[in-house]
Amino acid sequence: MCSESANELIEVSMRMDDFSSEWMHCDRISSYIARLVAQDRPDPLYYENLFSSAMNELLETVYLNHGSEGDLTCRVRRMDETDVIEIGLPSDEKTSDFYTDVVSALDGRDIEDLYNAALFAAGQRDARLGMFELAVDYKAKITVLTSSGRLTLSTQIAFGGAQ
Amino acid sequence: MVMANKGVFQAGFNENNQEFIISGKLRPSNEIELESLLRGIEEAVANVQGRFYLNVKRLAYINNIAFCALHRVIAQLSSRRLDVQFVIVTSSVLGWSTRKFSAIAQRNDNVAVAEYDTEFYPGQSFLEDGGFIPILRNQTRLTWRHERDLLTQHGLQPGTDVADICCGIGDFAVLLKKEFDPSRLLALDHSRSSLEYARKIASDFGLTDIEYVYGDAAELLIADNTFDFVTCRHSLQIFDKPDMILRELFRICKPGGRVYVTNEKNSHCLGEPRADSIQWTYSEVAKLFSHFKMDVEYGPKSGRYLMDTGFEDVKVDTFMVTNRDGDPQDFAAVIQAWEDVYAGQMARDRGDSAEFIARFRQGFQDHISAALHPKGYAGWPIWAASGRKPL
Repeated sequence: MCSESANELIEVSMRMDDFSSEWMHCDRISSYIARLVAQDRPDPLYYENLFSSAMNELLETVYLNHGSEGDLTCRVRRMDETDVIEIGLPSDEKTSDFYTDVVSALDGRDIEDLYNAALFAAGQRDARLGMFELAVDYKAKITVLTSSGRLTLSTQIAFGGAQ
Repeated sequence: MVMANKGVFQAGFNENNQEFIISGKLRPSNEIELESLLRGIEEAVANVQGRFYLNVKRLAYINNIAFCALHRVIAQLSSRRLDVQFVIVTSSVLGWSTRKFSAIAQRNDNVAVAEYDTEFYPGQSFLEDGGFIPILRNQTRLTWRHERDLLTQHGLQPGTDVADICCGIGDFAVLLKKEFDPSRLLALDHSRSSLEYARKIASDFGLTDIEYVYGDAAELLIADNTFDFVTCRHSLQIFDKPDMILRELFRICKPGGRVYVTNEKNSHCLGEPRADSIQWTYSEVAKLFSHFKMDVEYGPKSGRYLMDTGFEDVKVDTFMVTNRDGDPQDFAAVIQAWEDVYAGQMARDRGDSAEFIARFRQGFQDHISAALHPKGYAGWPIWAASGRKPL
């Protein structure tokens, strides 16, 4: 989770049923936030591109896996080279189980195998793929916290090559 | 064939190059949205022989839904067409591109990934290592005294949005910032070592609002119509496809804004005494660069190329940097740096004989002597040209 010393950069919120009414909301929110948080990074365009790519995968995952009543919140905090993306969403048992299971899998030694299997799977897409990608390709640390019908997905990510 | 989806992505097949190009953003909600794109790839592959290029170097974003769909089609086609080598052309400008598409190549024998940028710049290795930094520093110091006034004549105004493309070590951007205080100043280059140096220089001067960006001048990620004034100095002459860069400069310039370029004609460098030796060496410099597909004779052609790109109100000026401009040692230092790279590295890499290199070096030394001699004269001509993007 994010430490107390992290600086809050931006927070965006909207009703979940509004968010999940249009797929392109994932793209628009990730592009908007990426543009803003990249501004004071050494190479803003490079950073924006990577940040948007990572955040879009998170939002697409949330788009497909969320509870029904409540708001979607997206908050970004900064700790030096690391940014922390916190996505809050309404949650039910099924939603909670999904994210808890994925995060458990991220800690396993076979995460790269799981990622490749999901990436090149025949047939229906694996809903865990986006989070697997963040953990493997971006070395992101993802945690999940549930409380009173809501769930917070926290992703610590540093784009080492974004100079 | 050109296809597009809500202005988000564009795709098309170039039969001459056997190259299918996808650019923009691929973030569909399902594969059905990509049906025409995937069918286009299948149709393109059906008609190729030998090698098929899938060019994604300007595909700025892709989600996993699109990636999986692309992989599925490429895997099917590559297993069906074992006689064809599939090459996916990526870009180092995008942090994820080569890594992501390499996964496809690892799983399919006749699929390879080529990172476009490193192959695009034939002479880039000479310019991207730290050895060129002394040349660039001295050059900017010498040219600025001429360009400061020229920039105003070519339309640069304080408080506007400015981009310096191929910014090198960023010293020109620092001077722009101090003199013209742009409301936005983006400085882009393709050399990470130069950008690292640029950020250090800016930091030393306490300049925190210059955006130093890693990028490919021919394939900029910058949006259309973004800047009021775009500079690109001493750079068109060292790329083998300057027309591609000019088109990008045109694209990112706002309508009514101007693009400003400077270039040289190296064979016209001159000096007295020992004019013949000096002239011979610089004529050979032009041939040497030509060998590496760079045109250091570009200067007088600048105006024509700007017009061909679509610019109007094209202005062309020349100025001669000389040993009389300031400290002759500065001029001599530039020539020495040229000799070190051109004779010490490039001529050797071309396979030139020791005899040739000795004569080649002599011309530089004679140029230095002319610069430092109390009665001598040494000159380096530069063409500055700009054009306005039509409204």
